[in-house]
Amino acid sequence: MIDFKGYGWVFVEGLMVTIPVALCAGVVAVALGLFGAWGKLASSTLPRGIANAYTTVVRGVPELVLILLVYYGVTTLLQDLLSTLTGADTRIDIDPFSAGVITLGTIYGAFATEVFRGAYLAVPKGQIEAAKAVGMPRTLFVRRVLLPQMWRFALPGLGNVWLVLVKATALMSVVQLPELMRMTDVAARAVRMPFTFYLGASVIYLAITIASMIAFQRAEAWANRGVRRA
Amino acid sequence: MGEANGKSAGAEALRVEDLHKSFGPLEVLKGVSLTAKVGDVIAMIGGSGSGKSTFLRCINLLETPDSGRVTVGGELIRMRQTRAGHAVPADQRQVDRLRARLGMVFQSFNLWSHMTVLENVIEAPVHVLKKPKAQAVEAAKTLLDKVGIGDKLGHYPSHLSGGQQQRAAIARALAMEPDVMLFDEPTSALDPELVGEVLRVMRQLADEGRTMIVVTHEMGFAREVASDVIFLHAGRIEEQGLPESVFGNPKSERCRQFLARLL
Ligand SMILES: Nc1ncnc2c1ncn2[C@@H]1O[C@H](COP(=O)(O)OP(=O)(O)O)[C@@H](O)[C@H]1O
Ligand SMILES: [Mg+2]
Repeated sequence: MIDFKGYGWVFVEGLMVTIPVALCAGVVAVALGLFGAWGKLASSTLPRGIANAYTTVVRGVPELVLILLVYYGVTTLLQDLLSTLTGADTRIDIDPFSAGVITLGTIYGAFATEVFRGAYLAVPKGQIEAAKAVGMPRTLFVRRVLLPQMWRFALPGLGNVWLVLVKATALMSVVQLPELMRMTDVAARAVRMPFTFYLGASVIYLAITIASMIAFQRAEAWANRGVRRA
Repeated sequence: MGEANGKSAGAEALRVEDLHKSFGPLEVLKGVSLTAKVGDVIAMIGGSGSGKSTFLRCINLLETPDSGRVTVGGELIRMRQTRAGHAVPADQRQVDRLRARLGMVFQSFNLWSHMTVLENVIEAPVHVLKKPKAQAVEAAKTLLDKVGIGDKLGHYPSHLSGGQQQRAAIARALAMEPDVMLFDEPTSALDPELVGEVLRVMRQLADEGRTMIVVTHEMGFAREVASDVIFLHAGRIEEQGLPESVFGNPKSERCRQFLARLL
């Protein structure tokens, strides 16, 4: 057994932050992805423009820069804005957890947008027409026919987005979020055993990845019920 | 002969007046009109690209007609002009409500692939008509027995043959108890040996007095089952009449040529 010199708890503490941040950011990413895809597919130009700008900017700027931009930039911007508006000196602090959820959610929402857009286009149009033809109002056929079919085509892509998102939580260590990477770092420096601790962290990230892959495989099997394998 | 939906034969089920539809510069429908009385079976024939599908799809507004009037069971579908000059439905809820009274059967079945046959059939009765689920299931089982696939309730569409899928799609449409059934070449996507089982179901529906508009290339079916035959050519009705006269003694030269090519 590897000896973590009494610092094994940092992995547990780190995971207790990494997993909630990843899950919350994942939910934000899915929501933004659905909105983004809706915008991209909209017939009017305004939502299309906003959605295109969103995915272009996010995909064109490194994750790390975006994280620092949101954490420091947006806080400062809001502070200046409020100070100007109220006249008083206002201080805003985004806690690192919320910053992580917002930033990672926004970044991976852009990737999810592309996934959902592709999934929408893959749904056989005849099935949507059949839903309209029986008199289903829009909200009903979106919920009962469109979304269930979209999941089927979206799940493999969403699985990839999720795996990258989980690993990107490590970047949040730059804003002192006590997630797995940050905690590992602290311990590795404290007992001067970088190899042991970073190896430990790697194994844990790998374990999350494998568990996620299994979960997504199950979800795909469920979403693909009724589909004949070629 | 039964009377569908308790409406007396002779009453008007569907009226379409002067329907026009263009796709960009291509004028596909150049003023098509049709009236179906309760119990009528109108067969629509014509060459590929003559506008038959577009016409059917304009009736339930899967395509928006540029002009013309569609009246379902005496109720006119209200349209309005956008500022850009396009016609759009004035009231989407009216469209949804009237669509529920028009059963549509597509060439490519279009069953919902993530639902079993039974789920496909009860979906709209439960969620659109708000029928109690148990009642919808009972009705669905009866319908599926009637179309001959009562043993396939739990199957997903991809595990059925084309003929079985189309019969499930017919059951799905019937489950809404529609006033008019619209069929768009229901047998064209089927292997020849499966065509008969679908036509048999359609013939049975006609015998029950259902009002049907059937776009088809099955001339035998049109001749024997239809009360009226319409020949569409280049977006216009070229010939219309009883099957005996359209098939036996067509007045239009184009219709004569079309029929001659098929024989
Ligand atoms: N959505 C569409 N956009 C552009 N052209 C279309 C569309 N639907 C049909 N058309 C054209 O309209 C014409 C009539 O098509 P359709 O009504 O499908 O004919 P039919 O069913 O008689 O074969 C064809 O030339 C077809 O290419
Ligand atoms: Mg057609």
